[in-house]
Amino acid sequence: MQGTKVVRPFPFFRAGARASQPQLAKPILVLEDVYKFFRPDQPTLRGVNLSVERGEFAFITGPSGAGKSTLLKLIYRELGVDEGRVLFCGRDIARLTDKSIPFLRRNLGIVFQDFRIIDHWTAYENVAVALEILSMPQRLVRSRVAEALERVGLAGRGAERTSNLSGGEKQRVAVARAIVPEPALILADEPTGNLDPHLAIDILTLFEEINTTGTTVLFATHDHSLISKRDHRLISIDEGRVVEAQHGLKQWPGSGIHTLVG
Amino acid sequence: MDVKSAITRARRGLREERRLYIVAVTSLAVAFLCLGATLLGVTNLDAAATRWGQSGRITLFLKDDADPQDIAQLRVVLEGLADVSNVTHVTPDEARASFLEEADVGADLSSLPPEVFPASLEVTLVRGVTRERSESIASRLAQFRAVSDVESYRSWFQKLDHLLWGARMLAVGLAVLVVFCVVAVIGNTIRLAVARRRQEIEVMKLCGATNGFVRGPFVLEGMFQGFASALLAVLALLAGYLSLHESVDGTLAALTGSRVVFLSVWTLVALLAGGALIGAIGSAMSVRRYLSV
Repeated sequence: MQGTKVVRPFPFFRAGARASQPQLAKPILVLEDVYKFFRPDQPTLRGVNLSVERGEFAFITGPSGAGKSTLLKLIYRELGVDEGRVLFCGRDIARLTDKSIPFLRRNLGIVFQDFRIIDHWTAYENVAVALEILSMPQRLVRSRVAEALERVGLAGRGAERTSNLSGGEKQRVAVARAIVPEPALILADEPTGNLDPHLAIDILTLFEEINTTGTTVLFATHDHSLISKRDHRLISIDEGRVVEAQHGLKQWPGSGIHTLVG
Repeated sequence: MDVKSAITRARRGLREERRLYIVAVTSLAVAFLCLGATLLGVTNLDAAATRWGQSGRITLFLKDDADPQDIAQLRVVLEGLADVSNVTHVTPDEARASFLEEADVGADLSSLPPEVFPASLEVTLVRGVTRERSESIASRLAQFRAVSDVESYRSWFQKLDHLLWGARMLAVGLAVLVVFCVVAVIGNTIRLAVARRRQEIEVMKLCGATNGFVRGPFVLEGMFQGFASALLAVLALLAGYLSLHESVDGTLAALTGSRVVFLSVWTLVALLAGGALIGAIGSAMSVRRYLSV
């Protein structure tokens, strides 16, 4: 029966799932010589080469307008590349047809600065939508949503309307929605941009906890106070080019954080 | 598309947008009511035409100098036909008397010359004789020596046919108009609903929803609007029919010999199913352009 069938086109994409050894050995995400133009003479991304291993946590940083969001949009295919390749689990997602894009996104968890949750829905409904899309049975949806809400610190608050929640709680609901289908990769686009510093650290810690279960996290931010507190890999984008440091600011070449955030 | 999930989301959509949908459904119900009323008119005209067509009559006007033996022979032939149920001989005096009794034009008609009222044989056909068969009998009877003229009421039936054709064309025209109305109104209603739920669509698409998943509830909502509008119109029409048919029936029976009939079950099913189908199509068309998130 279709009502109980779980549509999961790339099962090997799922974190900790039955991926073969050769698949596990490959980086989860590879960008090869990627160019993106919004104006013909001024590329937003110019020749970006990047490789992200399975289970990694990486910050993507750079000044506003540097191309952080553009890079993430290329990964969840809101935008297409103009040149180069984007390989997700070895597949070139730049070549996906429009009909295949939803199946790519089922393997990604996406979190935004503006939360993008539906205010007149309950927290439960906001999280459950990610599983309803997979045609998962309601019994399973209930248990998985409850589990996800518990993981983000909102246990027992599923029945509350999200319009009544604080900013930090709304972002937790968005994180729960991102993690509930157990995606292979989480893309967080300035998820702490609308939160105060204390809540920002809480949300970052939440993403780190998710990362410990094997989920790869790409965390875009221009908040240097967050970056300076952690030793994660740093991917900085400036004028469309990528500069990297494997262990946070300690290894950052040049004059430190100010070169990163402008 | 998961139908159960689509139904659940459509129910939520209908609940959230109920005011918008109530306005759309009532507007469309008026359009369906116009179509239903025209169909009701066509159905009743059709019923009357069928009834008159089946209870056919032929009048054989006899020559003034017709031999009584020829007339008697003609009667025997007529009464021997399986399609004939009754034959009545009307003399010129009886014809004059009957005319003066029925005609009420406010003028003195007693001085009309005798040749205006020829003797005739009024032939009543059995029920169910088709118009074509009636024409064929009439043309054969015209060959008899005693017959001067045959009236098979063909021109009268032709007029009725024209009237019916006109009514049917009106119904077709109205049906086309109603289809456009339904597509436009439901399309615009769904477009408004989509605009109001744009964030939901965006969230669903980012979570990996296919176009079918997003479109499903909107199509169901459009289908429901179309069905509800048609149902509302049918119920209003039925209420009108039940409250009026008692008083109209007697007059109509006296005038035409037939009674008022309501729309057939198939017409009702077609109205309801058509409403749902057009609603679904209008909705699918309007939601298509909002799916590229």
